[in-house]
Amino acid sequence: MTINRISCVTPPFILTRLLDSENGEIRQAALATLVTTANLRGERTVRGLIAGALAAPADGRRSVYDCKGSTFLPFATLVRSEDDGPVADPSANRAFDGFGSIRQFFRDVFQRNSIDDRGMRLQGYVHRGHRYNNAFWDGQEMVFGDGDGLVFSDFTGSLDVIAHELGHGVTEHTAGLEYHRQSGALNESLSDVVGSMVKQWALQQTADQADWLIGAEVFTPTIDADALRSMRAPGTAFDNKLFGKDPQPDHMDRFVELPDTDEGDWGGVHINSGIPNKAFYLVATGIGGNSWEAPGRIWYESLKASTSTTQFQDFADTTYQKAGQLYGTGSNQQQAVKEAWAEVGIPVTTTPSLAG
Amino acid sequence: MRVSLATHGGLAAPIIRRLPPRVLDTDQLPGDAARELRRLVAAAAADPGAAGPAPHARDAMTYTITVDDSSDSTTLTSSDTGMSPAFGALLTWIERHLG
Repeated sequence: MTINRISCVTPPFILTRLLDSENGEIRQAALATLVTTANLRGERTVRGLIAGALAAPADGRRSVYDCKGSTFLPFATLVRSEDDGPVADPSANRAFDGFGSIRQFFRDVFQRNSIDDRGMRLQGYVHRGHRYNNAFWDGQEMVFGDGDGLVFSDFTGSLDVIAHELGHGVTEHTAGLEYHRQSGALNESLSDVVGSMVKQWALQQTADQADWLIGAEVFTPTIDADALRSMRAPGTAFDNKLFGKDPQPDHMDRFVELPDTDEGDWGGVHINSGIPNKAFYLVATGIGGNSWEAPGRIWYESLKASTSTTQFQDFADTTYQKAGQLYGTGSNQQQAVKEAWAEVGIPVTTTPSLAG
Repeated sequence: MRVSLATHGGLAAPIIRRLPPRVLDTDQLPGDAARELRRLVAAAAADPGAAGPAPHARDAMTYTITVDDSSDSTTLTSSDTGMSPAFGALLTWIERHLG
């Protein structure tokens, strides 16, 4: 009898684990090798694993990586995956738990399956860089710094900041708002709206009970600042000798013109977002109750109806039309939307061009 | 040699843009640290990476590192999502030595 043994440099159990790799090329290579091996051996169990790997949606599975101070994400180490319990690193746990809350928020409130509504994996990187004063969305994943310990502290300490970054992913997969001037400020505002709603939903606070602050936890105790931004009162989040007064406007009369450069914050996207931020706050408190219910639904449907070049006026008009479609023409909700935009200097027009 | 680091953008852009550039003078560093800095500057100058952030990046920061050395001045610019490993190594070194 002749025995034909298949020699394989990488054992099948490792290849099977590689199917869960975050790297698409590695997953593809492992899958190709397993398919070839399974075909040669006719092995039912391996074929079953392959079928399962192909069929199972990601459902927003979470992965958190530790950058260990590096700025180069490929150097990071995976520290916690979806099925893992808490780890020793509080930053990794906060990012992981934050992703879980936000994922549930979108699923329960808007029936949205993760960032792309198709179960996109939620990947976070903590401890990025040295004394790094920021958190950002890189187009695929969320990255968090530890802060310099003087002005800023760990950015994973703020659930609304985590939700803000994930919100950029949702905007990218819906309207895709360009990150310049008004569309960019609207992009920023929508992330603040997501951040604020998620925080209020987690705390089960009504619009009247909420603080409407974004990033209240990112400053060290020595810094005299309430937060990065206030949606209730843009322009009042901080006023100190170190970095001056909050420059956010709360009305179109005070719109800040800045150059469309990195030094100009791409036309003031983090500054003029105060105007639509205030409009959402006014709608939420005008309607009353929970911000994530009627106000959130109106904003979410308007986001989905927007385009990459949507301006403040376009968005105001769309929210007005969506409020009418969802809750009735002349409803309290639609009236609250109309009054809110008027109060920030963007009166709605009666012929919206975006909402379908 | 005098190295300055200016930072722009990010989640806290309105605050960051009001903070002045931070400056490091190598005259106040030990000789081996100054040599290491020269090596990192040369490597980053050869491959700084992309100057601006990736098209879909949001809240990314950009960095301008200016190196004045005798009569020469070198300016390197990159971003959170565009920097090369060499630029990142230089940035990290500067951040560590700025304290």
